[in-house]
Amino acid sequence: MTLMMAPPKKMRLAGLVALWIFALAFFAVRSPGFVSLANFSSILQFSTLLALVTFGQTLVILGGGGGVDLSVGGIVSLSGLSIAFGVKEGLDPYIASLSGIAFGGLLGLVNGLLVTKFRLLPLIATLGTFYAYNGLSVALTDGAPIAGLPTFFGTLGQGSVAGIPLHTVFIVLPAFLILEFVLWQTPVGRWIYGIGGNERACRLVGLPVDLIRLGIYVHSGVMAALAGLVADSWLLSARPNIGENLELLSLTAALLGGTSIFGGTGGLAGSLVAVLFFTSFQAGLQMLNVNAIWQLGLVGFFLIFSVLIDRFIRGGEST
Amino acid sequence: MSGNSIRRLIGRREVSLALACLGAAGIFRGFSPYFLTAANLTTILQNSVELLLISLGISFILATAGIDIAVGGVLGISAIFIGWSVEAGWPLSTIVLLGPVAGTCLGMVSGFMIVVGKVPPIIATLGLFGVYRAAIFLLLGGSWISGLPNTLAPLVNSAIFGVPVVAVYVLAFYLVGWLILRWFPLGTAVLAVGGNERAAQLAGVAVGRSKFFVYGMTGFLVGFAALLYVARYRNVETSTGENVALDAIVAAVLGGSSVLGGQANLIGTMLGVVLVRLLQNGFVLAGVPSLWEQVITGSLLLLVLILDAAVKRSARLKPV
Repeated sequence: MTLMMAPPKKMRLAGLVALWIFALAFFAVRSPGFVSLANFSSILQFSTLLALVTFGQTLVILGGGGGVDLSVGGIVSLSGLSIAFGVKEGLDPYIASLSGIAFGGLLGLVNGLLVTKFRLLPLIATLGTFYAYNGLSVALTDGAPIAGLPTFFGTLGQGSVAGIPLHTVFIVLPAFLILEFVLWQTPVGRWIYGIGGNERACRLVGLPVDLIRLGIYVHSGVMAALAGLVADSWLLSARPNIGENLELLSLTAALLGGTSIFGGTGGLAGSLVAVLFFTSFQAGLQMLNVNAIWQLGLVGFFLIFSVLIDRFIRGGEST
Repeated sequence: MSGNSIRRLIGRREVSLALACLGAAGIFRGFSPYFLTAANLTTILQNSVELLLISLGISFILATAGIDIAVGGVLGISAIFIGWSVEAGWPLSTIVLLGPVAGTCLGMVSGFMIVVGKVPPIIATLGLFGVYRAAIFLLLGGSWISGLPNTLAPLVNSAIFGVPVVAVYVLAFYLVGWLILRWFPLGTAVLAVGGNERAAQLAGVAVGRSKFFVYGMTGFLVGFAALLYVARYRNVETSTGENVALDAIVAAVLGGSSVLGGQANLIGTMLGVVLVRLLQNGFVLAGVPSLWEQVITGSLLLLVLILDAAVKRSARLKPV
């Protein structure tokens, strides 16, 4: 215990940053091409999808009550498909994008209602929608992508400023800053931490706990839809399986980033570092020609590992 | 008086499930005359065998308020080991041991994480799911194990006193499960852990050991199911066991298990499995592409949970 002089939260973030730097150094030594502007932008390019979904996931977990959103990947795929469908049908791209994002919010609303209105456990409710949404996106398209979006639609996903992808500048960074501001400087943010930390107390002081949770799930759906939009724009096509494994990845990133699975503690900064760590790792493994499937296994390992670490840091504190 | 007892009878899980099976069968009969033939009903039951075994384990896990979404991975990995040993020409008696042993070991890995590591079951098994999926790809190296010799055929094709041997397995395992729940301290411990873990701990119940048991037992059953799977299909693909976790959870929840733990209804689980397989078969015969299977099963899970919640709330009981 004497080892933990700094507050656990700071320790944890520092540890994660150290882990990330270690991974970067490892890959830099092993493959010379790793440290380059091109690779730097490709890491950012890959990180956007996971970052957006993880922001949503982090808030869901922070809000407590066993909160978890296993359906995020399905929402990414479904809303991406809906946007591509709209554009192909000749809808104005802006309107198609906005309605696709609203559609993602609607799918999140379904999760939120299942949890708050029907009082289902989030893990089982979103397990149901995980299969429903993923299944729908495959069944509606027969598993084939909606391809051939007009090239101007690719500006957001493919353009960059000084090596930094446009979507990093215009979506991920603003989303991160706004959410951090909301979490730390506004009542809503404090309420989210509050209901995650002690739901009963919050109910007793009259906070609209269910409404806040509902909002958190809608937010997760919107973030996933934004990820779907970026994916569409990047690939100029919508794949029905683009969101595959994102639930596992986002959950792992959020937990590795220091958000407690029981809610109430943690935050977005850790999640963001965890996402960058993952995507660097992914890029590094790719450069070393390691089979991509290893990544899935490693992520599964990290998921369990991060909870074990969490338990270790929090020490005797029981659940 | 009589109206009341009829309502209570219909309120029983087994009865309402049996009625649901009959109702669904009646509807599908309208779509396809083939549905109610002996051949098709046999197919449905045959397709239920592996799921029946896995759902039995899941019912025990749900009873401890746990969950296991890694069962598909355990099924796949056990099936790979079994497939390899068949290819290598091992004798039947050895292979029969290998499957359940492999499954039990993998189940114990989950149990170890959850009991010793105190990792929440959903996180532990989701993580293992990723690990196992990767392992399946790596073990198979991108190609299928196929065209296996029919060494294992006696396991599924024979009959004992005219009863198909697979039915004997299922009934025997369910009987043992029922006996454990009903008559053994272990069963009481399992239910107590799920009902109120803290109270169980304070009352001196071996919480860790009970949890360890349910995950180990599920692993054993999944390993046995893998044996039957390989015996029947004689191939192993990377997608083996992909949807099995959802199907098993849906079947158990349909059967009256609560994800909050503390209850198990094995007859309900059996009927739940039959209903799941019957629906999947019926929709295909009714002309719905099989790609919709996940959507239908996932929606079915949510529908049952919502109905359960509504019924319980109207009965002023604790919510689901």
